Amino acid sequence: MATPIFEVDNLRAHYLTRFGQRIQAVDGVSFSLKPGEILGIAGESGCGKTTLVSACMGLYIPPLHLSSGDVRVEGKSIIGMNIEAHRKSVLGRQVAMIPQGALNSLNPTRKVKQLATDMILSHDENADKKAIHSRLRERFQKLGMSAEDVLNAYPVQLPAGIKQRVVIGISTLLDPRVVIADEPTSALDVSTQKSVIRLLFELMDQGIIGSMLFITHELPLLRHVSNNIAVMYAGEFVEVGTIEQVIFDPRMPYTKALMGSMLSAEAGHRGDKPVSIEGAPPNLAYPITGCRFAERCPVARPDCKQNEQVIRTVAARQVRCQYAE
Amino acid sequence: MKLLKNLLRSPSFVLGMGLFLLTLLFALFGSLLTRVDVNTRVGLAYMPPSSEHWLGTDHMGMDMISLLVAGLRSSLYVGFLAGTVATFVGTLIGLYGGYKGGFVDDVLTVGTNLFLVIPSLIVLILLSASIENGRSLTLIALIIGCTTWTWSARAVRAQASSLRGRDHVALARINGYGTVGIVLMHIMPYLLSYIFMVFILQMATGILSEASISMLGLGPYDSISLGKILNEAKTNEALTDGAWWAFAPAMVLITVIVFALYIINTSLEGVFNPRLRK
Amino acid sequence: MLKNYPTLKHILGRAGWYFVTFLVAITINFFLPRLGDANPVDTMMARVSGGLDSASAKEKEEAYLKEFNLIEVDDTGKVQRDAQGKPVRTSLPKQFLNYLGMSMRGDLGTSILQHPKRVSEIIRAALPWTLALQLPTIVFGWLLGNVLGALAAYKRGVFDRVMYPLALLASAIPAFCFGMLLVYVLGIRLEWFPAVGGYDEGLTPEVSWAFFSSASYYYVLPFLSVFLIVVGGQAIGMRSMCIYELGTDYVKYAKLLGVRESRILFYMFRNAMLPQLTGLALALGTMVGGALITEMIFSYPGLGMAVLTAIQGNDYPLITGCTLLVTICVLVANFGVDIAVGFLDPRIRAAQRTGK
Repeated sequence: MATPIFEVDNLRAHYLTRFGQRIQAVDGVSFSLKPGEILGIAGESGCGKTTLVSACMGLYIPPLHLSSGDVRVEGKSIIGMNIEAHRKSVLGRQVAMIPQGALNSLNPTRKVKQLATDMILSHDENADKKAIHSRLRERFQKLGMSAEDVLNAYPVQLPAGIKQRVVIGISTLLDPRVVIADEPTSALDVSTQKSVIRLLFELMDQGIIGSMLFITHELPLLRHVSNNIAVMYAGEFVEVGTIEQVIFDPRMPYTKALMGSMLSAEAGHRGDKPVSIEGAPPNLAYPITGCRFAERCPVARPDCKQNEQVIRTVAARQVRCQYAE
Repeated sequence: MKLLKNLLRSPSFVLGMGLFLLTLLFALFGSLLTRVDVNTRVGLAYMPPSSEHWLGTDHMGMDMISLLVAGLRSSLYVGFLAGTVATFVGTLIGLYGGYKGGFVDDVLTVGTNLFLVIPSLIVLILLSASIENGRSLTLIALIIGCTTWTWSARAVRAQASSLRGRDHVALARINGYGTVGIVLMHIMPYLLSYIFMVFILQMATGILSEASISMLGLGPYDSISLGKILNEAKTNEALTDGAWWAFAPAMVLITVIVFALYIINTSLEGVFNPRLRK
Repeated sequence: MLKNYPTLKHILGRAGWYFVTFLVAITINFFLPRLGDANPVDTMMARVSGGLDSASAKEKEEAYLKEFNLIEVDDTGKVQRDAQGKPVRTSLPKQFLNYLGMSMRGDLGTSILQHPKRVSEIIRAALPWTLALQLPTIVFGWLLGNVLGALAAYKRGVFDRVMYPLALLASAIPAFCFGMLLVYVLGIRLEWFPAVGGYDEGLTPEVSWAFFSSASYYYVLPFLSVFLIVVGGQAIGMRSMCIYELGTDYVKYAKLLGVRESRILFYMFRNAMLPQLTGLALALGTMVGGALITEMIFSYPGLGMAVLTAIQGNDYPLITGCTLLVTICVLVANFGVDIAVGFLDPRIRAAQRTGK
């Protein structure tokens, strides 16, 4: 079996607040990606997706701290490195991120060319400026933009769709092995969303991106993006499987509730009324016994709140529920 | 109210408000500390502090504390009046220009910038110098208010202009509300906290401006103000004589009030604009 | 034609606006003092008419009126008279036009107090002192304040906790209070520095080492009293701006990309400077005012002192002359900052290029 390009091994990360509280935002997440694989991660706001991004990149800036676990890219751990070494060799090179809200992610007072150059020079001080420029031109052309115009423009002069491409372009300049796309399409209209996703696929096909983690709260979108999907809740993965399994045949009560809470344009389901999930996710500042969804679970049983829930294999996918089948 | 609770939790607000209230108390009840009327000569010029007169006497032999209290009252009065006038004028202009946009806004902005660039102290000097007689506290306050409004106009205009595009405003316009109605009902309520902050700063500016103009000798001719106390200390060589009680307390009072107002403003900013809270 | 040089167009546009402002300023400068009933000639007459009989008094009055351009004279210099033989008074609009013309030529009239010295002469002597005090104070104060503010925002910790309240205090103390404090403590009590004046009494202004070193010694206190306050004010502002910049999305993104810290700091500084520069333009008027008052406290021989003595003596021509000059200085400085911002802010340059 090919070595997985990206392995996350029982990763746990927490926040330390000013008042000394410890919020365990990511509590034991494990998965691995093979070259060319895309994993979609879905969940409500507050489930820990954004923390997971920083944690997977090995970027622990206080108040975020690593509790335990490991993250490996092509077999080598990226955790616990010296900060400078981590910045230079991991960030942007091995693991890159495409941020949410690309519209604000570009420094308004720097030309696109300068931003891209800053990024390259930060990883390789001795790079030749001329070589960098021609490389930029080539890459941006490949990404479907008129390189000269875009590179010499200030972000404020570019339309939203182009800005998104610019961000994707800059993030992937160093051909990262793993790309984490954090809600890259949330602020875009549908047709732009489609072109962005197509762009990401092209980059994967061309080998510029090794593998991808696609994070979103819009489940319907993932159908067009990844083969596998993990549903996250309160810092844990609660169901992991293929699209067909998770979206169309969910076994974990939370996933079922999530599917039921969405409007569907699918044939045959158009008349279904969305049912919202009562209650709110648990406060992760306090230790939780048993199932984290038990409070709001429509089929919870008395001992759900006592027994620690582990991942089991049910119907050929992974589910974190004692009674799912 | 939740707002008050939040404010009280901020140490800077407590400090600033505390200082300000202290000075206010001193202004209102300070005369109880001395048993003397302001205008009586109680001793020789520049007598150092004693048990009888805790802060000594000024160049005419009058009790310093009574002078300070009277001066404080005047300065606070001027600050308050000038601040109110400046905030009122500035808000009016800012709201109107910010809401209307277009040509009206351009004209008002050019006008505001004009007065922004021309130093207000200069205008103050020119105005005060020309009014030889009748320079009362109220008149000075009004003049200060009319020369320092530019800052609030600019600030309020920026806020009003950003609110202009909001949906509820468009809705109101469609429903046929006139300009005045929309501004009063749909824009101002959002700006009340901001306008209050502006007022605090304008008050500080008013107090400082009054002190500056009095230092120059263009102060009120019939009353005492803190700036006038400083001016008299300088012209009567209190500095060189080492009579610190003639100017230090006034200085401290001015600094404390202005500092308190600034801190209150900073803490208000922190509460009203949670993004600044670290 | 101008379309090809957008920067030039921008500069000319701003220059035009400043010229308009200057016209407004000079109008205010002329009309405000004349709001009251103050008449320079009456003031002069009050000073010199003691002991003169009515005929010579009248002659003197006319001479003054002529000098101050308050009556009409024909081309030969003879005073025009009306039916009763009284000199024809120049109308106010005509006075204004005369004033404009004279000012453009650099002639600001005659001082009353220091008659027959001309106002422009007095100003010319005082201006260099004021410039020497104001320019370094504002420029270096602004620079140092911004650097300190940026450091505090970036480093936080102890540096920030110490610097912030100090800077807040410094920015809240009015310039003249601080000046008086320095004079008293360092000048009179400790006698480390002279309390009054611009240079040693025995010396006259000249280009010599002795004079220069004496002037520098007298320079310290006035300089410090404005400098420290400017630093405090700028530091507070810059600190907030930098804290804001450090929390922006683009800084987060740059960090995630692995961009070097020095570069990120550069972004923060550059982006925070822009509003600071704009703020400088707005604050110039206040800073100059504060420095003027400082001059008065230290009896520093600059425009501030000139204005003070002018006010004390009701010397209207001198007052208006000084205020006009100060306004011009502030306008020029504002213009400079405006141009600088235009160059430094790429967004403005981009807008220029696309024709806005």
